[in-house]
Amino acid sequence: MTRGTAISAVRRNTELGLMLLAGTITGGAYVLASLGRSASLPANLVPFLLFILALLAGAHLATRYLAPGADGILLPLAGLLNGIGYVFIARLDQDKAGLQSVWTAVGITAFVATLALVRRTRDIERYRYTFALAGLGLLLMPLLPVVGREIHGARLWVSIGALNFQPGELAKVALCVFFASYLVEKRELLMGTNRVGPFLLPETRHFGPILLAWGFSLVIMFFERDLGSSLLFFALFIALLWVATARPAYLAIGALMFSAGSLIAWTVFDHVKQRVDIWLDPWSVATGGGYQVVQALFALAAGNLAGTNLGQGSPERIPEVTTDFMFAAIGEELGLLGTVAVLGAFLLMVGAGLRIAMRAEPLFEKLLAAGLTFILGIQTFIIIGGVTRVVPLTGITLPFVSYGGSSLLSNYVLLALLLRISDDQAARQLAESRARDETRYG
Amino acid sequence: MNQQIRRLGIAMLVLFSALFIQLNYIHVVSADRLNKHPANTRAVVRDFSAPRGVIQTADGVEIAVSEETGGEFQRLRTYPRGDLYGHITGYFSFTYGSDGLERVYNDALTGRSAKVRLDRLGDLLLEDKRTANVTVTIDDRLQQTAASALGARKGAVVALDPRTGAVLAMVDYPRYDPSPLSGHNRRQVEAAWNSLNQDPDRPMLPRAFRERYFPGSSFKVVTAATALATGTATTTQPVFPVLREIPLPQSEEPLRNFGGSACGGPLPEAMRVSCNTAFAQLGLDTGADKLSDGADKFGFGNEPPIDLPDPAESVFPDASAFENDLPGLAKSAIGQQDVSATPLQMALVAAGIANDGVIMTPHVMAEIRDDEGEVLERYDPKVWREAVPPEVARATRDMMVEVVDAGSGTRAQISGVQVAGKTGTAQTGLDTSHVWFIAFAPAEAPRIAVAVMLENQPSANEVTGGALAAPIARQVIQAALGGS
Repeated sequence: MTRGTAISAVRRNTELGLMLLAGTITGGAYVLASLGRSASLPANLVPFLLFILALLAGAHLATRYLAPGADGILLPLAGLLNGIGYVFIARLDQDKAGLQSVWTAVGITAFVATLALVRRTRDIERYRYTFALAGLGLLLMPLLPVVGREIHGARLWVSIGALNFQPGELAKVALCVFFASYLVEKRELLMGTNRVGPFLLPETRHFGPILLAWGFSLVIMFFERDLGSSLLFFALFIALLWVATARPAYLAIGALMFSAGSLIAWTVFDHVKQRVDIWLDPWSVATGGGYQVVQALFALAAGNLAGTNLGQGSPERIPEVTTDFMFAAIGEELGLLGTVAVLGAFLLMVGAGLRIAMRAEPLFEKLLAAGLTFILGIQTFIIIGGVTRVVPLTGITLPFVSYGGSSLLSNYVLLALLLRISDDQAARQLAESRARDETRYG
Repeated sequence: MNQQIRRLGIAMLVLFSALFIQLNYIHVVSADRLNKHPANTRAVVRDFSAPRGVIQTADGVEIAVSEETGGEFQRLRTYPRGDLYGHITGYFSFTYGSDGLERVYNDALTGRSAKVRLDRLGDLLLEDKRTANVTVTIDDRLQQTAASALGARKGAVVALDPRTGAVLAMVDYPRYDPSPLSGHNRRQVEAAWNSLNQDPDRPMLPRAFRERYFPGSSFKVVTAATALATGTATTTQPVFPVLREIPLPQSEEPLRNFGGSACGGPLPEAMRVSCNTAFAQLGLDTGADKLSDGADKFGFGNEPPIDLPDPAESVFPDASAFENDLPGLAKSAIGQQDVSATPLQMALVAAGIANDGVIMTPHVMAEIRDDEGEVLERYDPKVWREAVPPEVARATRDMMVEVVDAGSGTRAQISGVQVAGKTGTAQTGLDTSHVWFIAFAPAEAPRIAVAVMLENQPSANEVTGGALAAPIARQVIQAALGGS
């Protein structure tokens, strides 16, 4: 354990300070939003603040005990994003806010549970096929007859009783673990052993299983009309393949497949064509299919530099504002400063995640950290890009910020795994320096 | 692997930079354009429940007020004078945005304009929202007179003060009452909107400044003034031959006078009876370049800078359009073919002649006062175009006086007041024409310039313009001068 060492003290204290800052910012924003809306303090201010503090404290204590050497800025950033997201949800929909606080608690619990269950990252390396099956199973769940549910044209949901969740969110993490583990094991083989002309090709029997798993996942996602996840997943696989084998050929093939796949999707699926049309020209369908995008653009423009101030914009005019378009609401009320801050927070998280990946020594941990960070970064890019018309809109959530239990759950688990890898690395460094000291002082 | 991870990081950085650039673009660079986009009702939503200033006429009649109603929206925007000012105030709707003065002066009405704001720093801590009231240049009695003179005939009446550009009256038919559109019941508002928009007579269209029509012979004022200004003709030379019809170069079809009548003579005579053959010749003599340029000087091809949204620009084709179309030039010189004008533009033509050749910027706002009566802004009259030199304007004026005294516009005569005018009849079908009358009075020191246009009236000859439109102008001028 790295508890009680210098580096873990520094990191945990940094984390504590930043968590307090995140908590203060969230609390302050909550008060301002309420003042902006109704010129009065929120009724449930004290219970709310206590709840937030409890959750933040709980998460921090968990890292102190379970992953003391881990990077200290990831959790506070996630907490800040979660908090800002919560403030906006509370400002828009009181019912959803209540649920979101429950989901936050669930997420933090999952965070702690993951840290507790996965004591060393290499513990999960062995379970790669379990993860693969679990992942595919989770992906298939919405297609089941009784419990599967189609919402907004996408069959992504499962209902058990009154509870709706998206198993696909968790599937991403599970399949990422599988990919990382498999790719590390078959790494050299996938770099290519058969010479075919100028190319080094891998043998099919090595490539086969993973290709199958990946292809299967894509097909399922296609069937479920989950374009955002399909895109994310495809990109994840190619990225991991490339990072693992360092073969640019895979990037080239990936780009080709992406182009081909997009073209096919655009020709075959009407709703894909619609999405692209709306992306290229939302104005001609401003009252129809383009309404959401147009309202989001208006919201951002209304925000200008510093926003219309919390509580004083009209983000409720944007459809799906608590989920897919949360970013537009932030853009309206906090302006360019707010959106750049959120973008910056995500960038810092990606940076921290990649740093963890680079520092980690075992290849599995490297690849897993890279993959998890990639998921976070690309998902953020896809949704913010969709809202701002950089790319066509797809229905995925903004991590930690958007309303959604499954999203919060899977992102906190993702976070916990990253922290676990980081802590493992710190422990390893500690062991090495102790070994050196021992040999020195014998 | 680290190298790949590093590159992955760079790729993420590039992607996020793209997002950053786009955010800057939306939040800052195109923010203004997006905020003013017609489909953007954000400003209206924000302002819908906010206190809003009063719009009132020059003689103190309130034409747009916000009544306290309590409830979700707290106040209701109502229009006490109903449809009479519908096209001036515009509507103010939660769902459909705003038009007219409600749109143009929104910042002032909601207390958001800079001048009001500076005063507000003091009450930043108080919950006070200070609005400003807009006073328009329109006189209510004159507006009523114009409306009843126009009656239930499709068309428009525009009356300006040629010395300042102030709009004294502007009314068209059909009109609409904006009150239903500012209602709180969304379904009712939707029904009203749909009903208004589906009405084939288009009551929501402000014909006075947003629709164009063939000006017909009323355009001869521009042709004559341009000919005088460029030296193509004088009031004595040339003497146009008395003809029933004139052959046109590049064409088999001759151009005829109304009803087969024969006319000619020097320019004042041609103007008095509105002789097509003479003016067609004059147009050909002046040439496309000079005529096109002359029309531009009067404002054709430019949006009149009136403080109402989306005014239409009147059209006179570019000289190059007539290179191989001299018949077109001849017809354009008499206000047909490719010439089209808004009633506002023709009123501005009259105002220009009235004001020694200088057209003042038309405006509806007279002043803006805060809710304590302090003047925040007063409209400062500005020159819009210098159409023709003063002596040309005076010569044209004299010819227009003749039109009213002894020509096609005798029905605009007012005893004791010298009226200058020009009739216009623009054929739109076998038996229908748009009829026009533009005028100003008193001729020696004009205080009012008027343009009257009636759509698609049954027509027989030039006199129709004089018969139908001139009396309306007379009523308006009489009311304006008699009362002032």
